[in-house]
Amino acid sequence: MRKTLFYVPLVLFLGLSLFLLSGLFSDPRERDAVMVGKPLPAFSLPDLMNPEQVWSPETLKGEAFLLNVWGIWCPTCNAELGYMSQLRNEQGVRIIGLYYVLPEDPMFGEVFDLAKLQVDVQSRLQAFGDPYQFNILDRQRRLSMDLGVSGAPEHFIVDAKGIVRAHHIGDINPQVWRAKLAPIYQQWAGKP
Amino acid sequence: MKYVARLLCLIVTLSFAATAVAEQSQELFNFESEQQRRIYAQLTAELRCPQCQNQNIADSNAVVAVDMREKTHELVLQGYNRQQVLDYMIDRYGNFVHYQPPVNSVTIWLWLLPVLMLVALFLFQLRRRRNVDEDDSTSSEVLSETATKAAQQKALLSNELDHIIERYRSKKL
Amino acid sequence: MIPELGQLALTFALAFSIILAIVPLMGSFTANERALLVAKPLAMGMFVFTLLAFCALSWAFYHDDFTVLNVANNSSSVLPWYFKLTAVWGSHEGSMLMWVMILAAWTALVGQYSKGLPLLMQGRILGVMGLINIGFIAFSLFMSNPFERTLPFFPVEGSDLNPLLQDYGMIIHPPLLYMGYVGFAVSFAFAIAALIGGKFDSTWARWARPWTLAAWLFLTLGIMLGSWWAYKELGWGGWWFWDPVENASFMPWLVGTALIHSLAVTEKRGTFKSWTVLLALGAFSLSLLGAFLVRSGVLVSVHSFAADPERGVFLLIFLLIVIGGSLLLYASRMHSVRSQARYEIFSREVMLWGNNVFLLTATLVVLLGTLFPLVHKELGLGSISIGEPFFNQMFYYLNIPFALLLGLGPWVRWKQQKAAPLLKPMALIAVFSLILALGTMAATQTVAANLALLGLLLGAWVGVSAIMEVYQRLQQFGSITQGVAKLQASHYGMTIAHIGFAVMIVGIAMTLTYSEERDVRMEIGDRVVLAGYEFELQDVYKLNGPNYGGEAAEIDVRRVDGRYVTHLHAEKREYTIQRMVMTEAAIHARLSRDLYVSLGEALPGNAWAIRVYVKPFVRWIWLGGLLMSLGALIALLDKRYRRKTTTGGAAYA
Repeated sequence: MRKTLFYVPLVLFLGLSLFLLSGLFSDPRERDAVMVGKPLPAFSLPDLMNPEQVWSPETLKGEAFLLNVWGIWCPTCNAELGYMSQLRNEQGVRIIGLYYVLPEDPMFGEVFDLAKLQVDVQSRLQAFGDPYQFNILDRQRRLSMDLGVSGAPEHFIVDAKGIVRAHHIGDINPQVWRAKLAPIYQQWAGKP
Repeated sequence: MKYVARLLCLIVTLSFAATAVAEQSQELFNFESEQQRRIYAQLTAELRCPQCQNQNIADSNAVVAVDMREKTHELVLQGYNRQQVLDYMIDRYGNFVHYQPPVNSVTIWLWLLPVLMLVALFLFQLRRRRNVDEDDSTSSEVLSETATKAAQQKALLSNELDHIIERYRSKKL
Repeated sequence: MIPELGQLALTFALAFSIILAIVPLMGSFTANERALLVAKPLAMGMFVFTLLAFCALSWAFYHDDFTVLNVANNSSSVLPWYFKLTAVWGSHEGSMLMWVMILAAWTALVGQYSKGLPLLMQGRILGVMGLINIGFIAFSLFMSNPFERTLPFFPVEGSDLNPLLQDYGMIIHPPLLYMGYVGFAVSFAFAIAALIGGKFDSTWARWARPWTLAAWLFLTLGIMLGSWWAYKELGWGGWWFWDPVENASFMPWLVGTALIHSLAVTEKRGTFKSWTVLLALGAFSLSLLGAFLVRSGVLVSVHSFAADPERGVFLLIFLLIVIGGSLLLYASRMHSVRSQARYEIFSREVMLWGNNVFLLTATLVVLLGTLFPLVHKELGLGSISIGEPFFNQMFYYLNIPFALLLGLGPWVRWKQQKAAPLLKPMALIAVFSLILALGTMAATQTVAANLALLGLLLGAWVGVSAIMEVYQRLQQFGSITQGVAKLQASHYGMTIAHIGFAVMIVGIAMTLTYSEERDVRMEIGDRVVLAGYEFELQDVYKLNGPNYGGEAAEIDVRRVDGRYVTHLHAEKREYTIQRMVMTEAAIHARLSRDLYVSLGEALPGNAWAIRVYVKPFVRWIWLGGLLMSLGALIALLDKRYRRKTTTGGAAYA
């Protein structure tokens, strides 16, 4: 009994190092996807290019889609536009953009200017590729907060009934798509 | 005349009020009561910015932290209590967002383990002392006689070695 | 050329460390005296070569040699020269080299100041230090080489030092911290040497004590400086964030504190042997764990270095060898060692045991709080965060019995203590502390039953008890004046360190309870009133620093009754190369309170967001830490540790 007591520190340490080892290969900043399984939160937001058109969860139902939170201020988002266009054109993935507006910095005299933003977005999409069916403008970032978005880019897979099925933080590249998102998308889109 | 005096009076007070407003700075977040101010301060200190390395939302300037601060303020003004605001945030960002973990069958060990260790270490000392009391110094030595004998011999040997080397060294120097 | 020489020097140091780890250790088993004698020069050689390597890297930084990757990534030509030199340890690679250099320095110091030790012991200690050195030098050389070149395409300008690190605190904070972390390697080596030799007498404890005290002294200073630096540099007015990296330094500190107390028991009474050895192994093991946590990327922290799983794997293997190996040795050797000393339940031994129990429990709390989120997630249970609310709650409950015990402990005799003679002095102390606590509260704030009152009571209890205990000790020498010279330095050290703890509790409790803050929008000429002080924004203008721009604010502070207090100058710097915004808070410090102003972003309409704090007694936290370090320093000066034990040591046992 007394002898085994002296082995306790060693055993505890070895147990701890197992967790340390597995911890080395996972991202400590990863959060739980709490939205998965829940319906899209209620919202009513204008289209980025055509503000008369107002989008709500009801108007999006009917077909599964990939919701992409992005902004032209975000280099990673611009970088993934090409691959996502490929997904749209080659695999017919329905991609809807959720445009995440950064707060304006009054120090540089910035004010929100929709017309200018539309032009900027248009030229950016022409340069990098346009994967979007359309873009929803989230000026106050209210929908983003309801979805638990912490920045851009982030991605959600939403099924035909408007239920969130996946939440991916970070960019989409071929590896991420094939390993993580494609199976979920195909399951809910009912496409091969 | 009376009216003029009154008007003058009004102008004077108005202008005083105006300067007072201009001089007294505005708070970035207004509260209706000290209670609300306290809840807000407490909440922004214990909510974690989901985008940053490891900061609470009070200390972070990330966009999402600013948004969460504003939301917290809005909810506090609407009369949400501390727990309701926390639930609101956890619903959206998960348990990750609160610096106090939820209590469940696994996290309970966070509190249990330290208490258990505290008790175990004190009990250990009590038992140890009783052991020493019970078996006289002789009997405890009998128990591990062979072991101590071997150790003593070894110690003696190494001591001798030390001695010889020490002498040798002092001669040489 | 110089960087290559640096690398060469580091390679030589590796060779020295390998020989140091093999030859004297082998010699200690084969009783080869020549092999044992070679340890000291080898340790010195290893230190000289690591120092050369460190100088080579410093040279590269000083001369803006951007062909060296590490320099290009962490310095720039516009950086002031002193920050160029501190940038040497601003990155993972450079700080690792400094770690190695300090470890080699401790090894050389042990070689230099261990004349009193038996040669066998000396050889074993240095051999173990050599083993540890191998691991870190190899890590520096093969996994994070600071001398790597960018050739053939090198940048003309470096990407600058992280602005957070461009501060005077950076000049001495990491070196002090590392001196502490690595210093525990010496206690560790002493413990391993004792385990190998199988001798655990009080001489072992007496040799290990000054080294442990020295390491603890540096660690305490390092942590305090880090806290003070974060307070003034981060602009949030916080002094401790329970960040994983802070916790990584706090855990070895807690165990080191326990070790100092446990060593006292082992030295004076020859008991607690296996426990003391375990603590000595634990303090350094936690230092290593801390290095792993900071450098592997398993945890997220504001302070951690860039993550790299490969480095993590290397360090983890190293941890397994060093910690796992030492614990295995401990388990196989220690169970046959029995302590013979007898003592009653009310005795100094048990009091110090209580101290150890609370410190160890605190360590467990910090360890759990730091690593539990990782475990929780790896078990597939999802992500959680553990921070201030949890730690504050746990430390609140741990601190109350700990402080009560601390006030009583020094009065209790070894072996056994009758309760009756202590009743009177304890009652006296209790009354004094009550008066002192209520008096302080009435003088500075309004009297209320809150955390501050609890902190004041506990602080006064510990402080008054410490002072009265010394007074009582001095009286026993006949007259006070005679006693002052006769009382051991280590006793004064203990008393001062305990008073430091008291001061710190008061500081923490008062700051937590009475700090006030306001986030305000201010235009020039605006005023804000907080805790009886009126802050008036006088002016805001553009800044033009060597490698930064930004804005500065001038603020006048008056009492509400109009008395002028001070003028504050707060800055918000924008470092041009790294595109990072830093707040340089303006602080007016007094013993009773700090006034703290930080300038935030510009708001619409020629206004600025400004954060104003009034923090009562916040200085006491660092003052307490300084007193603790001072206590350790005075204890180190005790003549007992400098006695030549050559003959004594050999004659003993």
